[in-house]
Amino acid sequence: MNISEKTINNYTIVSLQGILNASSAPKLKTYIAGMPDEQSLVIDLENVEFLDSSGLGALVGIARKKKTSSAIMKLARMNERVKKVFEITQAYTLFDIYDDVSAAAEA
Amino acid sequence: MIFHLDTSTTLPLGVVLLKKRVDATNSIELQKAFAQWLQQTNNFVFDCTELDFIDSSGLGAIVSCLRKALEHHGDVKLAALGPKVAMVFELTKAKKLFSIFSECSEAIQSFVTVSTT
Amino acid sequence: MKTLLVIKKQEYEWLIDLFPGVHPLLVPICNKPFIEFLVDFAILAGSNALRIVSDGVLEDVEHYCENGSRWGVEISYGSMRPADDTHTVIEKNRRFCLEERVIIISGFLFIRYNKKSEYASLFASLPSGELLSCPNGSISLTGTSTTKTGTPGTLPFSLAALDSIGKYYELSMEILSTGLTHYVIPGYSSEENCYIGRNVVIPKSAEIIKPVIIGNNVQIMTNSIIDKNSVIGSNVIIDRESVISGSIVIDNTYIGEHLEVKNKIAAGNLLIDPQSGTSIVMEDPHLLTTMTQSRVAGALLRRIVHAVGATFLIVLQLLPWLLLRPILGMQGKWKRKREQHYTGLPGKNVTLTNTTIEGTGAASAFAKALSLDRFTLLFNVLIGKLALIGNLPLPVTPAIRRLPNSHEGYRPAVFSYAEAEEWPEIGIDAEIVEHYYAVHSDPLKDIAMTQKALFHRTH
Repeated sequence: MNISEKTINNYTIVSLQGILNASSAPKLKTYIAGMPDEQSLVIDLENVEFLDSSGLGALVGIARKKKTSSAIMKLARMNERVKKVFEITQAYTLFDIYDDVSAAAEA
Repeated sequence: MIFHLDTSTTLPLGVVLLKKRVDATNSIELQKAFAQWLQQTNNFVFDCTELDFIDSSGLGAIVSCLRKALEHHGDVKLAALGPKVAMVFELTKAKKLFSIFSECSEAIQSFVTVSTT
Repeated sequence: MKTLLVIKKQEYEWLIDLFPGVHPLLVPICNKPFIEFLVDFAILAGSNALRIVSDGVLEDVEHYCENGSRWGVEISYGSMRPADDTHTVIEKNRRFCLEERVIIISGFLFIRYNKKSEYASLFASLPSGELLSCPNGSISLTGTSTTKTGTPGTLPFSLAALDSIGKYYELSMEILSTGLTHYVIPGYSSEENCYIGRNVVIPKSAEIIKPVIIGNNVQIMTNSIIDKNSVIGSNVIIDRESVISGSIVIDNTYIGEHLEVKNKIAAGNLLIDPQSGTSIVMEDPHLLTTMTQSRVAGALLRRIVHAVGATFLIVLQLLPWLLLRPILGMQGKWKRKREQHYTGLPGKNVTLTNTTIEGTGAASAFAKALSLDRFTLLFNVLIGKLALIGNLPLPVTPAIRRLPNSHEGYRPAVFSYAEAEEWPEIGIDAEIVEHYYAVHSDPLKDIAMTQKALFHRTH
């Protein structure tokens, strides 16, 4: 999995590319842990090819951490495959999900 | 179910207070008890104030009570049917067989009016 | 033109109890799923794309509507949070809302319209802003009109809130008596006010009085009367000499013989009086019953694999259990509790003895490490009452009379998938994992997951 980063407004946009599963989830966690806790995030999921339960666990964990340090974490641009996983697991109830990165970074 | 003989009017009336449910578990009990009550009077009011549910065997028992009472030239009148119980009586058309009153006292009074005229 | 439908779970939740197993957006109104009325309207209004946004589960809706190719409109789905206002929802769907004008229908509303009216040019010419509103929601428009026209007079559509079973009934009756030609109603209609589906058996002695709508696979037995203003759903049997009038019989319902259903809604074994809102669950199957499709025995392989796995564990745990159970029992550290749990089959529960091992002594630690607290539950796998791995059995509580709808694919088990994963912290996390594996699991993976669960439980 590749992770790239840019900044829009006060948000760090973290774009993921590839597979987010048990073997790549720790990489994402360490990457996010390298940022200040109070940094708000938008995670761009457009190029995530596969997401499993561990990958979902990483996202839930990050969201929870951000919440405790009063930062915001949003998800953007879910493709159909990723959307499916969020739907069947009903994990969407935990996240703010945008279909556009810049819209997510504005609100 | 609680039975008592109402003597407030000129006519001796059997008032039966039905409780909670009349269903397969207690419908035979009701029919047996009714045969005994019939020896004291022919006219009955079934007070349904506390009746929450009735199934088809319960309904069958009440209809058989009515039939027996009619054989003895008496009647069974129903009083204070709750909305759920009323729906079952309506659905099964059993409603048409009974005189139904909203208050127990009205049902008791109705026997007197009929017997004096 | 595009249409954005924003419907919150809170607005339709009241329907779940009345139509168990049917998504509220798919609840039939005059035998047509609710959402289809809105799809039709969106198309009439000139939309080429429709997005349905909700904070509730849309899985069933998506399964039914798919991508909309059936109607020639592109249908997509979005999620929101319960507290989001319309502005936030538009932001969350910015890409969808960007290029064209968007009709925003917000709230659990029924839109009265007439399919013969011209809506596409009307909507194109209307100014932006709120067009109509009622206490339960509104319909509004974004963007600027292409053609300049004066402010329109009365709009050729109106809103009806759907917030109670009474309203649902009234609306159905309103469509039956005045609006059958305004909407596309399913079924053949060789004459006015009469719509009949496929495979409907009506004997000569039965009487059907218009207006009436009858679904597919319906059997009406001898001497029955379907009196005016009735809607009969699909897979329904009306047994002999029964009378249905001014009533709605929902899909998969059996109505017994010699009955009179007047101004009611019959849904499975539930009989509802829409005027008072009273409902009664019939316990006599010969009066009213839900007709269930028989379950396919495709889970046989899984059962065998699980039984083999359970046998293996029983053999493994037997000796430690025989040794430790009496010791812990004497120390008072072996706590047992018998409770009713849902089985996943409607109306059927299973009594399970849950064991908790307390204390920190060597015996307790060893027993916990070996998961001996689950030992007795393993026997339930052999008789097919539990799976080896699946969901944690949900106890029956007076608060939840039925298995909640959110437990799609629920399979009570000795070990849960959530125990196999490292990350779940709280209940909702466990639910996410269990939902995930309800879809992404197979019998062989189950064995691996059981191993993982056994391993993780010790840490």
